[in-house]
Amino acid sequence: MNTIESVTQTLKSKFGDAVKATETPTGNRLVVDIDGAKVKDVSKEIMSLGARYMVSIGYDNISRDNTLGLIHTYAFDKEQFALMLRMSAPADNPVLDSITPDTPNAGWSEREYQDLLGFKFQGHPKPKKLVTADDWPDGIYPLRKDVPHNLVPPAAEDVAYQLDEAPPGTTTIPIGPFHSSLHEPNHWALYVDGETIKGCDYRGFMTHRGIEKLCQTQLSYNEIPFVAERICGICGSVHACCYAQAVEAATGLVIPKRAEFIRTIMLEIERLHSHLLWLGVAGHLIGFDTVFMQAWRVREQIMWFCEKLTGNRKTYGMIIIGGVRRDITPEIRSELETICKNLEKEITTIHKAVAGDTAIHKRTKGVGYISKEDTIKWSLVGPVARARGVDIDARKDHPYASYGEVKFDVPVVDSCDVWATVLVRILEMYEAIKIIRQCLQKMPEGPILLEVPEALPAFKHMVMMVEAPRGEATHYVITGEENRPERWRVRAPTYPNLQGVPSMLMDNQFADFPIILGSIDPCFSCTDRVAVVDVRTGRKSLVGKRELEELSRKYKK
Amino acid sequence: MWLTSKIKQVLLVLKPGVVTLKYPFVPRPVPDTFRGAPYWDHTKCVGCGGCANHCPARTIMVRDICQEIRVMMYDGSRCTYCGRCADVCPENAITMTNKYELATDDKYDITETMELFMLTCQRCGRCYEMETKNAIDRMDLRGYRYDNIEARTVIRKTTDQFEPKVFQETAQFKRPEKL
Repeated sequence: MNTIESVTQTLKSKFGDAVKATETPTGNRLVVDIDGAKVKDVSKEIMSLGARYMVSIGYDNISRDNTLGLIHTYAFDKEQFALMLRMSAPADNPVLDSITPDTPNAGWSEREYQDLLGFKFQGHPKPKKLVTADDWPDGIYPLRKDVPHNLVPPAAEDVAYQLDEAPPGTTTIPIGPFHSSLHEPNHWALYVDGETIKGCDYRGFMTHRGIEKLCQTQLSYNEIPFVAERICGICGSVHACCYAQAVEAATGLVIPKRAEFIRTIMLEIERLHSHLLWLGVAGHLIGFDTVFMQAWRVREQIMWFCEKLTGNRKTYGMIIIGGVRRDITPEIRSELETICKNLEKEITTIHKAVAGDTAIHKRTKGVGYISKEDTIKWSLVGPVARARGVDIDARKDHPYASYGEVKFDVPVVDSCDVWATVLVRILEMYEAIKIIRQCLQKMPEGPILLEVPEALPAFKHMVMMVEAPRGEATHYVITGEENRPERWRVRAPTYPNLQGVPSMLMDNQFADFPIILGSIDPCFSCTDRVAVVDVRTGRKSLVGKRELEELSRKYKK
Repeated sequence: MWLTSKIKQVLLVLKPGVVTLKYPFVPRPVPDTFRGAPYWDHTKCVGCGGCANHCPARTIMVRDICQEIRVMMYDGSRCTYCGRCADVCPENAITMTNKYELATDDKYDITETMELFMLTCQRCGRCYEMETKNAIDRMDLRGYRYDNIEARTVIRKTTDQFEPKVFQETAQFKRPEKL
């Protein structure tokens, strides 16, 4: 059993001077400052202690000590704490060792900071562009402070992303950027042998909105929750809540109890309607539209309820730093209770109708297999991991809001396929209803919003995990001076899960691609939240941009 | 197994029947708490500019065209209807109405402009003193404020920090048409 003290001791005794300082900002967070040269070994040691890699955060520290900072974050799930491994590299030569060979999930984070901050990672197995556009000029790193937030560099013609070499004997099938089985733009190249998938390459990040840069340079603390909510159309409250909690924890704000309960209710309502939405989409992807229509019909009553409670069907705008904006009145409360009752009945009906259907079994059982070991190796999160027998859930492992005060189970299924993800999600809906009921009962009276002090302390680091319907969302906040965060890093659950998809696709049938990808409940716009302009895709085009323009002009007339 | 679940599915579909709403032929009523288009009550507004400073989408602009007249403009084309302006308004001059059919091809349909008559302090001759600590100063409204209403851009600079250059730049700013 690791504790914060034991991990500190182990690292100090093993690496001696390389561990420069340690700090525990709150009872369940440990910050370790290390010498950047030793990162590979330290990371390996932390992983061997049973940690799960979460995300890396790069930040610009040039104005203060002429360095670029990098933080790897790890979660000790059973021991309920998180570790932030902080290091820096000189800005003129920011070279660090890559930890990707040992923790494959760090691959994207490192590539991201290669693009956005100009880091170089030695030994990275695939140091290709990830985030910035293919024609983004070299040497401009958008997340550095000297690059303005509205910079639009000139575009270059005929630059394309170079897809990976296809394995010998396979044919490449491009899917996307726009495809009927994808809900958002992203590009997959599937290498198939006959009907069997033998590999793939992914080029995403086509819906960049520059949210992090915008919030770090333009918006103020309490304006960001509204932007955070727009990271994702479905799990909006999750991101707003995660950001607000990170700022609160970093600056030591304690919000009223009632607000915590209302936040919990909002998060569970979101889980309910997100899972119903997913169930519908999954049915649709395998051509079973009855589930699609019925799940979405059931979902509609939650949406109407939310409209009444928050004033909008989605993007609720409920959660800000210091609490929530609207209270649950007795009238709303009784309505929510009725809805819970109806939903439970309806979900049971759908569950029974779906569970025994052999058509669904044939399309989902044994499809998208990834072993439990690989799931842990790839640090997959949420229902995707729980469908592979990995018992992780941020609500239980790192309790936030009022999850510590309610009783609920975390459904874990271990058949490791798409069917298991269907089951896990259906079972989670019952748990969500259970949590909402308990919250309504236990909710104390009192204020719902805390007056936020004028100046929040600067340069405090905090990582916060919130269990979104799709998995664990991680936000990292470094508080700043001008009433806005110095750095705000968002990692949506799709970010790690999408990196596991190539393993799930391997040796499956081409026709199962939509449901395998769909089984992680992908949300590409969440994943693509960082960079600055749109990306021209890796399409192997026969018409150049100019010809395309001329063509479209011709047809417009 | 197969047949029973198919029967269950048929029942699942038959029981609720048709649930599709007749909208737009029959209007869909919204709850009282709905966040529709915001409405400004000019008789209540004191022109403090709190809404302009809290708007995440920067849709509210303030311009002091002279000592006595402050123009406030709301640009609905960018509004996200979060209702933050209504929350922070100290005089409850802003209410979120239940209007939601706001699509239009003329942006002036969803633009609201108010010209407010501001009083001058009888003691010092200014709107208020340029201290550093009073509540209005904390709202970032020292002196006269000059947002670019023509270009619909919040500059958030007031006379003590105002630069004509910034104003010029925003007036001439054009998003590159060709990337």
